[in-house]
Amino acid sequence: MMKNKFGLISLFIVLLLVLSGCTEGEQSDSKEGSREVVVGLVSEPDSVDIHRTSSTGEANTPLYDTLLKQDFEGNIVPNLIADYEIIGDGKEVIFNLKEDVKFHSGKPVNAEAVKLSFERLVESSPFSTNAGDIDSIEVISEYSFKIKWKDQFAPFFINLTTSFLAPIDVSVLDENGEGFEKNPSGSGPLKLSKINRGDSLVYEPYEDFNWNDGGPGFDSVNFRFIPDEETRILEFKKGNIDVLLNVPYQYIKDLEKDSEVTIERVPGDVLSYLGWNNKLPIFQDVKVRQAIAMAIDRESIIDNTLNGEAKAVFGPLPKAAFGYSENIETMARDKYTRNIEQAKNLLAEAGWTEKNKDGVVMKDGKPFAVELWVDDDPANQRAAQVIQNQLMKIGIKINIAVKESAVIIEQTPKGAHQMLLWSFGWPDADVLNFLLFGKDKSKRLHYENEAIYSLLDKAAIEMDQDARLKLYEEAMEMLVEESPFVPLYVKENITAVRNFESFVVHPINGSIEWQDVKVKE
Amino acid sequence: MSSYLLKRITTMLITIIGVSILVFMIIHLIPGNPVNHILGDYATEESIRELESRLGLDRPITVQYLSYMANAIQGNLGTSFITGYTVVEEIMNRIPITAQLAFYSIIFGSFLGISIGVLAAVKKNTIYDQLAMTLALIGISAPGFWIALFLILLFSYQLSIFPISGYSGFYSLILPSITLGLGTAGSIARMTRSSMLDVIKQDYIRTARAKGAGAYRLIFQHCLQNAVIPVITLIGMQFGYLMAGAVVTETVFALPGLGSLIVSAISTRDIPTVQGLLLFMGSIIILVNFAVDLLYTKLDPRIQYE
Repeated sequence: MMKNKFGLISLFIVLLLVLSGCTEGEQSDSKEGSREVVVGLVSEPDSVDIHRTSSTGEANTPLYDTLLKQDFEGNIVPNLIADYEIIGDGKEVIFNLKEDVKFHSGKPVNAEAVKLSFERLVESSPFSTNAGDIDSIEVISEYSFKIKWKDQFAPFFINLTTSFLAPIDVSVLDENGEGFEKNPSGSGPLKLSKINRGDSLVYEPYEDFNWNDGGPGFDSVNFRFIPDEETRILEFKKGNIDVLLNVPYQYIKDLEKDSEVTIERVPGDVLSYLGWNNKLPIFQDVKVRQAIAMAIDRESIIDNTLNGEAKAVFGPLPKAAFGYSENIETMARDKYTRNIEQAKNLLAEAGWTEKNKDGVVMKDGKPFAVELWVDDDPANQRAAQVIQNQLMKIGIKINIAVKESAVIIEQTPKGAHQMLLWSFGWPDADVLNFLLFGKDKSKRLHYENEAIYSLLDKAAIEMDQDARLKLYEEAMEMLVEESPFVPLYVKENITAVRNFESFVVHPINGSIEWQDVKVKE
Repeated sequence: MSSYLLKRITTMLITIIGVSILVFMIIHLIPGNPVNHILGDYATEESIRELESRLGLDRPITVQYLSYMANAIQGNLGTSFITGYTVVEEIMNRIPITAQLAFYSIIFGSFLGISIGVLAAVKKNTIYDQLAMTLALIGISAPGFWIALFLILLFSYQLSIFPISGYSGFYSLILPSITLGLGTAGSIARMTRSSMLDVIKQDYIRTARAKGAGAYRLIFQHCLQNAVIPVITLIGMQFGYLMAGAVVTETVFALPGLGSLIVSAISTRDIPTVQGLLLFMGSIIILVNFAVDLLYTKLDPRIQYE
């Protein structure tokens, strides 16, 4: 018996040693003296392969450098592309690349490489539609290529500023065209040095990147994935994290008290909105839709659910998007600033005159009660509750239903929802076409309007940017009048940092500008 | 013994097949599908159909299941729809952490639970007994995330003894193991107490005491050794709960184990990863319980499987 027990204990110890040896301890408890930047994030991107991922963020985009970029004023300026020439009616564009750029693998970023990258993008990226309907890509010389579209595609130039369309080095793929997620090669400021699945991504500065004088201001960047909010905050407060992205709103005031901590605020480019299935009979009358818009008090939602860290938006586009119009924003603000009495009158004019014992308006004996879908983000759920309260003031009863994002994404194109709290973000007004109100593309809102289809289609192929802006303005004016959804707010991107001589966040897209990051010595 | 083994192995295989069918049905029945997640907001009807066909999701469900099982038998659990890694790679990357966590938790939980249980039984109806059972009740009922945060705040944030989160070897698994082990300890303590009290009443204990056996020998050799069988059964059963508890513990401590992987796989409807992981975890739990059954014969020679 004794021998058996001894054998069991030995077996346990051996097993324990084997398991301990299987996984290396990667993290160091102290980073004193190092120029390592530790960034704390909520979740790991599903892939570092930009053609496969549907979730871009700080942890995977620094691998890639874009063909064009937005400067701090929002102008589109050259980046990997030195210049381009629009030919004839705009269906063909010749692009000339800068000649001294290399991928992380050491291969040149030349016309052939960019062509192969675009071909893979069209074949496998969920964002391939943002390259337009490409007819052909022709290599003209080592650093020049021509893209021909079946139709003009005006949003292409802004889309080129996003990482989704950045060139990747397809030469690192294996014989099956796979393996990029394990051995990625782009031309961005950070080069991947280690993947610790589920735990962290470790990068080093790419030596051939176009750094500012003096080279990179850090030796490595460690993106750590810490899903729990409390744990992430404690790691930052303890000094184990230098950059805390998406600081939860309730902790901002506390962190601001620390003199070593700087809070960077940049308006986001993602617009949250209250939408509904416009095909449902209850939303057919424009007066009903306008009444809902008029009953919403955005500032109250922002103050009560986001600690005031968001900007109210009344027009259909956020300020960061090309196509945003101050005139439209003012017009929408004037029309839909909260006015309960007017909202009630509009509902009455639409026939919602009676009230049941709960104060819910009725028409033909049926109460105005709808279900509002919201995802599992606690801030969104709080916002849904405020909206529920605000709409009850005009007699509309909202039942909140919390759904997983996967369910909302699958069910809303089928029209299974009534109302939803959702959001979108894209740097170009073409998002109104390909996502929100385009013909057969209005997946969440199911809004049908031939006049708007026509304007959005025309805008997508209008190569003259001023004329294009006018078309979007016209379409947005109609959208404000028709009120097929209620734009609510754009949340601030809030980042907490410490231990930097210099740390810069792009004021338009909110990404970290790695060439301007310098760790305190 | 050999016919017993054959019977048990057959039952195990049937159970694993049952688990695989159940898992397959559940993941296909819940709303939300991976194609929508992959293509996101920008999907068209055409691109959805094309991707469904590429991933084999347009085939009848029975064909999908049979093809999946045919591959699984050969050790191929498929490739994640989302990450591009094979499911076996994902499991191999993460199993060392979850296995260590489960192992240390069981060791901690068993040691603490048996100690408290023995103390409560020996000091029955005293303040020690009441205190021990109150502690056991707290261990069972306190939520894992609450215990985890309490331990982090005290031992990591205030006292700087352990790292707050992440994996950096054995040291970083001490707090997660305590978090996970406390619930197990509570159940084991209650079971040990009740089993010990049954044994203490037996005639052979009275005889041993009459023959002058010392307190230490009486408790640990005569009582505990005979009282431990139901406790061992409970420890085997707790293994399943530990796997479930690991989901919360790994999330709070940011440990890259199987628990955190399954959470992200479910939220993205990554069918191959969810199926592979649940099948793997189910098989492990079944195997552990089988091992526990075999352990009985070693602990009590009176038990023989025919």
